[in-house]
Amino acid sequence: MKKIEAIIQPHKLDEVKEALKNIGVDGLTISEVRGHGRQKGHREVYRGMEYEVDLLPKIKIETVVPDARLDEIARTISSSARTGKIGDGKIFIYDVLEAIRIRNDDTGEAAL
Amino acid sequence: MLEERVAEAPYGDPFGYFEKRTSFVDGVVIPGIETALAGPISVAFAVAAVGGYGRRELFPQSDIDLLLLFESQADLEGIKEPVSDFVRSLWDAGLRASHSVRTVSECCQLNEQNIELHISLLDLRFLAGDRRLFSTLEERLAAFYQRQARTLTQRLTEMVRQRHAKFNNTVYHLEPNVKEAPGAIRDIHFLHWVRQLAPQYALIDESYRELEPAKQFLYTVRCFLHEQAKRDNNLLTFELQDEAARRLAGADTQPEEWMRQYYRQARRVWQSTLRALEYIDGQDPSLVRQFRDWRSRLSSSEFTISRDRILLRNAAETLGSAEAMLRLFTFVARHGVALSWDTHRRFSAALAAVESGFERSPVGWAAWREMLAQPHAGLALHQMQEAGVLTAAIREWRSIDSLVVRDFYHRYTVDEHTLVAIASIDDLLASDEPALGRFRDLLREEEEPAVLRAALLFHDIGKGTRPGDHVRGSVESAEAVMQRWRVPGPVREKVRLLIQHHLVLSLLMNGRDLDDPATARFLSSHIGTPEDLRRLTLMTYADISAVNPTAMTPWRQERLWQVYSMGKQQLTRELAQNRIHDAAKVVEGWAISAELGAFFEGLPARYLRTHGKSEAEHHLQLDRKRKREGVAVEITPEAGAYLLTVLASDRPGLFAEMCGTLASFGMSIVKAEAASNAAGCVVDLFRFADPMRTLELNPSERNRLQWTVECVVKGSIAVEDLLKRRRAAPRPSRGARIVPAVRFSNEASDAATLIDFVGEDRPGLLYGLASAINAAGCNIELVMIDTEAHKALDVFYVTRNGEKLDEGTQAELGSELSRVAMPV
Repeated sequence: MKKIEAIIQPHKLDEVKEALKNIGVDGLTISEVRGHGRQKGHREVYRGMEYEVDLLPKIKIETVVPDARLDEIARTISSSARTGKIGDGKIFIYDVLEAIRIRNDDTGEAAL
Repeated sequence: MLEERVAEAPYGDPFGYFEKRTSFVDGVVIPGIETALAGPISVAFAVAAVGGYGRRELFPQSDIDLLLLFESQADLEGIKEPVSDFVRSLWDAGLRASHSVRTVSECCQLNEQNIELHISLLDLRFLAGDRRLFSTLEERLAAFYQRQARTLTQRLTEMVRQRHAKFNNTVYHLEPNVKEAPGAIRDIHFLHWVRQLAPQYALIDESYRELEPAKQFLYTVRCFLHEQAKRDNNLLTFELQDEAARRLAGADTQPEEWMRQYYRQARRVWQSTLRALEYIDGQDPSLVRQFRDWRSRLSSSEFTISRDRILLRNAAETLGSAEAMLRLFTFVARHGVALSWDTHRRFSAALAAVESGFERSPVGWAAWREMLAQPHAGLALHQMQEAGVLTAAIREWRSIDSLVVRDFYHRYTVDEHTLVAIASIDDLLASDEPALGRFRDLLREEEEPAVLRAALLFHDIGKGTRPGDHVRGSVESAEAVMQRWRVPGPVREKVRLLIQHHLVLSLLMNGRDLDDPATARFLSSHIGTPEDLRRLTLMTYADISAVNPTAMTPWRQERLWQVYSMGKQQLTRELAQNRIHDAAKVVEGWAISAELGAFFEGLPARYLRTHGKSEAEHHLQLDRKRKREGVAVEITPEAGAYLLTVLASDRPGLFAEMCGTLASFGMSIVKAEAASNAAGCVVDLFRFADPMRTLELNPSERNRLQWTVECVVKGSIAVEDLLKRRRAAPRPSRGARIVPAVRFSNEASDAATLIDFVGEDRPGLLYGLASAINAAGCNIELVMIDTEAHKALDVFYVTRNGEKLDEGTQAELGSELSRVAMPV
């Protein structure tokens, strides 16, 4: 099992959710996060006052998937979240040691 | 099972149920004491019921609180095992028992860390054991409470206030906790405890007695919740509201209607609690000293401030006139002082008269505007709501009074959400939170805070009148209210626009690509001017902040700011680029004559968004005069300022000369706009203040100023000569001085360079800036001038030889503008 963590543009959330739903992925955790990568922050001047805008709003999507579906799901996220511009975000993939469904103690991929 | 048998009691009679359950529990506990404790414990001891069990108020799933009392510490040796056996036997019998073991002395020594113990002992009831020992405790406790009454009452009020604060000091939670929330059962207990600690407070005793119906209602609901959950659940969730409405009020009762009954009862308890808190504060000599502070000096001929609360000097007079009532709430809004309980009571007693007062003679916009413009308007509206005046003054408000609209994110009823939104604007202004600085600056720039607050006041009324399309419903209701208030057309238009679009920014924040130019165009097509965008941004800020206390996260702040910045950039760009072409196609509902169409042609699109039909037609009349006489000048007084309108044929330096002329008369320009149409006619509008009251005190000076402007435009008077006679203007203190900042942008417009200037304002500054621009060989194509306190916020669109400014010109002009604007 792998955990996919994707940082995407806020306006792409609906598109990514829809694309994942279309390939049968329903279990997602969504968080509103702030940060920056190569896009970095910037200084903004408003009416003579400078404001540091170093952390930009993004959406984090987390999902744990069976190994066999990893490529397909990661590709789906990547293509549906892409605008081609700086700031589109990143996808990180981690190994998952175990998954346990609390309700009935199912384990492994059966718990996903 | 024991609990199931007891729970058969009907919900309609919680007190009968308590009696039954208490007897039942006593029947288990008392024999248990005899069996498990009396034999193994050889020293004197007594067992007492405390807390809810002590006062015979056992809800279906309430804990059983017991006090095991001993004479001295020495007696406690060897009791651990029999006490454990005893408590275990109660759990085995199905009772959730908790106990504490204490000596008489421990119970009667003030323990600041455990005030709850002293409070729970107020409801002490003998169960079994040594009666003499228990009587000793009773006697010593009576003396203890007499000695410590003030301290305990004070601590109790602190605990109550902390609990209220956890629930944001409001009764109106969509899913209320019927035990802990403001206006819930704990507040009834609070009054009950204060009665015991301070029996001399007859007023609190009276309040408590009046709460019988509320007590019956809330106790019934809590019994129901316990029964449904089979545990000590006190949260009245949406699902349980459905069930409660059906089971407690009848199958035909809608949950929303039943919840209104809940809020009505909770509101009574809440008001009695506030009354008691206020009364207790008033009895505290140390607080009374504080009350004699500066606030009492705010008292007026109509109102007195006593102990930080407002009392009416002549209640009959105030309550007999809608205007006077609104003056009272304007006073609240201005000074941030709440009404006293006595004032609330007078409103409650005269509610029918209050209502007919507002129906008979609706108060006009001037009075509402005055109230809504004050820094504590949110508090005033909350006070109006609590006193029942808001529904009397605005009948449309009834549709959302205590209205539950189920939403996963929303915390409050619709009326409370609205009031919290308005209060969040007040809080923003008062806040020094650095992260909110940008929004605070926007708010400080707001010239019409009353418009913003009026729009917020009406923005969700449609949830009560048109649940499926609340925006439309809110606009309809707002229109009806504004009609009664005789709100001027342009203000109505602003309020309507804000309500109509109050969801647009949230929509963009959550689901649109803010880098896509189409998003910016979408926004600007809905929001025509930077002023409307600013107001809508603040409205969205307030609306989100009032969803729940944690809704306005830094994430959402940043996102909202991104939307604002994007819109501002787009509107600034359009300011210079979007010119009126074929006005008949742009303006709906106006009959545009050929002459008017020709006058509009080439003016910025903003002109039609910021000027109504009658204003535009008046400008056309002035244009006819310009054509006849070469120039048309008009000066009209406005609220706290004057408006100078100049229509003339365009020529280089004209704008600077206008500024210089006003400066020579000592006038301070607070706002200005200048643009020209395709026929080469400039329409210059200057709003200026008259700090020395020259025009007011010398009416002939107005004519002289008008004549002078005409002469300057025609070239018969040189502005330099006028300025030689000008006295130096007073300057702000050194601490207030602002270092000028000049920013150039060639991206903001296709045809011109934008100069964004911020600096310290002073009479003559604009003349200096405009002259420097002319001296650099540049032409001012369009200008928007604004001021905020001593800060000048100026935007110029300029060209040089019909082109944008190159980098060299920008650098030279930038340093010249900074030099001109540098504070001396």
